[in-house]
Amino acid sequence: MRGLSSKHMIHLFLLPALVFYVGFMIYPIGSALLNSFYSWKGLLRGDFIGIDNFVRLFTESPYKETFNRALWHNVLIFLVLIPVKLVVAYALALLINSKLKGKEFFKTVFFLPKLLSVIVIGYLFSLILNPTYGALNTALKAVGLSSLARPWLGDPDTALLSVILIDGWAEFGFAVLIFLVGLQSISGEIYDAAKIDRAEGLTLLFRITVPLSLPSIMIMTILTFISAFESFELIYAMQGTSGGPYYSTDVLALFFYRLMFGTAGGGDSIGLGSALAVVLLLLISGATAISMFLFRRKEVDY
Amino acid sequence: MKSKWMLGTSLLLTTSVVLAACGGNNANDSASPGASASSEGSPAAVDSGSGEKVKLTMYSWRPEDADGYAAIIAEFNKTNPNIEVEFKPFKSTEYNTILNNTLQSGTGVDILQLRPYDAAIALADADYLTPVDGLAGLDQIPDSYLDAARGSDGNVYGVPFMLSNAVIFYNKNLFEENGIAVPETYEEFLAVCEQLKAKGITPIAQSGKAGYLLSMTHAVVGNSAYGGNEFAEEVISGKTDFTDSRFVDSIQRMKDLEEYFPKDFIAIEDKDAQAMFYTHEAAMYINGSHRLETFEANEIDFDVDFIPGFAPSKGEPANIVAWVDGSYAVAKSSKHQEEALKFLEFVASKSFGQTFSEQLTRVSPIAGVEPSNALLQSMAKLNETQATPYLILASFNQGAPTSKTTFEDSLQGMYLGKLTPQQVAEDFQASVAKWFKPQS
Repeated sequence: MRGLSSKHMIHLFLLPALVFYVGFMIYPIGSALLNSFYSWKGLLRGDFIGIDNFVRLFTESPYKETFNRALWHNVLIFLVLIPVKLVVAYALALLINSKLKGKEFFKTVFFLPKLLSVIVIGYLFSLILNPTYGALNTALKAVGLSSLARPWLGDPDTALLSVILIDGWAEFGFAVLIFLVGLQSISGEIYDAAKIDRAEGLTLLFRITVPLSLPSIMIMTILTFISAFESFELIYAMQGTSGGPYYSTDVLALFFYRLMFGTAGGGDSIGLGSALAVVLLLLISGATAISMFLFRRKEVDY
Repeated sequence: MKSKWMLGTSLLLTTSVVLAACGGNNANDSASPGASASSEGSPAAVDSGSGEKVKLTMYSWRPEDADGYAAIIAEFNKTNPNIEVEFKPFKSTEYNTILNNTLQSGTGVDILQLRPYDAAIALADADYLTPVDGLAGLDQIPDSYLDAARGSDGNVYGVPFMLSNAVIFYNKNLFEENGIAVPETYEEFLAVCEQLKAKGITPIAQSGKAGYLLSMTHAVVGNSAYGGNEFAEEVISGKTDFTDSRFVDSIQRMKDLEEYFPKDFIAIEDKDAQAMFYTHEAAMYINGSHRLETFEANEIDFDVDFIPGFAPSKGEPANIVAWVDGSYAVAKSSKHQEEALKFLEFVASKSFGQTFSEQLTRVSPIAGVEPSNALLQSMAKLNETQATPYLILASFNQGAPTSKTTFEDSLQGMYLGKLTPQQVAEDFQASVAKWFKPQS
């Protein structure tokens, strides 16, 4: 009897976490879903209108243009961050994992930006990239490359790429760390066995190291995907709520923010904003689930 | 064992010290009504009431005004010693969200600063505010200002307390040194810009990174192109819309002024633009009257004066862009309606207007209030006869995204060569047409 009750006691310990999870995750998601099916007038919920908000989001000007442009920017962020966070970070992790001197130092240096608040990073780089007194343009002019100097964040051709690279700079130390843990967990015996079979250099890398790092590569890919589609803070801090100049750095989360909080309080924005939140949730969770399924099938074990 | 006991005691001690410190602060906060209650100089005016103290919580989006409000509330307590008012400011950018949440929850706020125009309509229509029609002193405030706090049912829901003007500030010394006369018309203004540019001075310290400064500049330099109040009435009655050639002309002016703005101005922020103005690098700076406070804080080393706007032709008076920046309203959920309305009566009185204007260097909408700052004085005087609305802020700030943001983003697009002035006007009209029905 006593044993049974204490067994059930265990469930009780889950309660605090469950309360927070339901209160701060399930409930907001549920209410966003519910709100997206209603018409809104300012803060007042109106009638049930089915999927009207979703239809408007995808068919009505200017929502559909803004949505498509923002989605494309999210995709671009993902495409640029993948080489930075996977290839560069993985190469650096390999170097650090080798018998290099001072690897602890480099590990710390690479991870350092991750410790800075996104707002601080945004502010620092706004100063560095400032068109009138910024360090980057000043440096370019000093070495005779004034033709390259430009208003990096004010030119629609360079603004998005600048922000993505800053994001990559801030985040890639974390990727290095994840890869390093993966590399260090590969048993030395496997390498010894492979060397007996006369495997060396690149063969070792591509036949043993990379396949056995797949779990960490999978995690980084998914995390990069999620962070690319959730990008908000850095762009908000550097380019404002409209993703300026002229929407050139606009992303879905910013579009959501503008709909939900950017209006004077009137209009039908809460319904549209909720609909966009639901679309974002489906997009991110769907793509994450699919990629996890694909990666699982590729996992190897020696 | 002993060390554990010591640790416990010291923890308790620290906690009690912290708590006592907090208590001390509260005592300080409530000290002002107590102090004024003892100085019963004019007992006739003092409302002794039932002797029971009531505490009102007042929300504000201006943390920087805390000291000024201490003085204002002390002034209020001279006549109402039993009403304690707690000034509770929040960060301006977070204010709307916090206020909305509080109003929805139904407790926590009695008096609130109400954002003007469309934001006020939204809160009034959601039934969160107590109507204040007929409040003593309200009849002293011009109708056009009360519009900032009117719900769509026509009732007034707040007492306007803060006016803003948008003007062209200029460096008086720089103008005099270079023998430049203050321009009256747009054509003269262009000539002045050309003169300054020839001398290597940036004519206008304009920034374009935050779009709102573009629409503010448009209001100042453009209102004489589209024709101020008259055009506003025509649009509101449906006689014309924003694709009107007069409005396109006003956008064309923005385009024409581009060569007098700093290089890459679309990438620079307001603080960079201010720095250019402060360091004599630029001669003019277009912004709101609240910037006078910033000028004082930065201790600029030259005389500033302002150009209100442009006269349609030489010799005629120029209009000045004016709008209500905030009103005070009473939350419908407040349990102390009577006391809260008493505070609003105070807000509508000259005594509040004068204290407010002096303490916070702002223009008050209350008739007869004389600001102590000389520039504000002349703005207040112009407001009486030459005020023209900040049209896009006052009447076209609805929609999702708001038409105002659409306009600002399109202006950025124009400077980046993606849109023509005609297209900016069309974008704006398309956004307005989504929610605006002309009242004809």
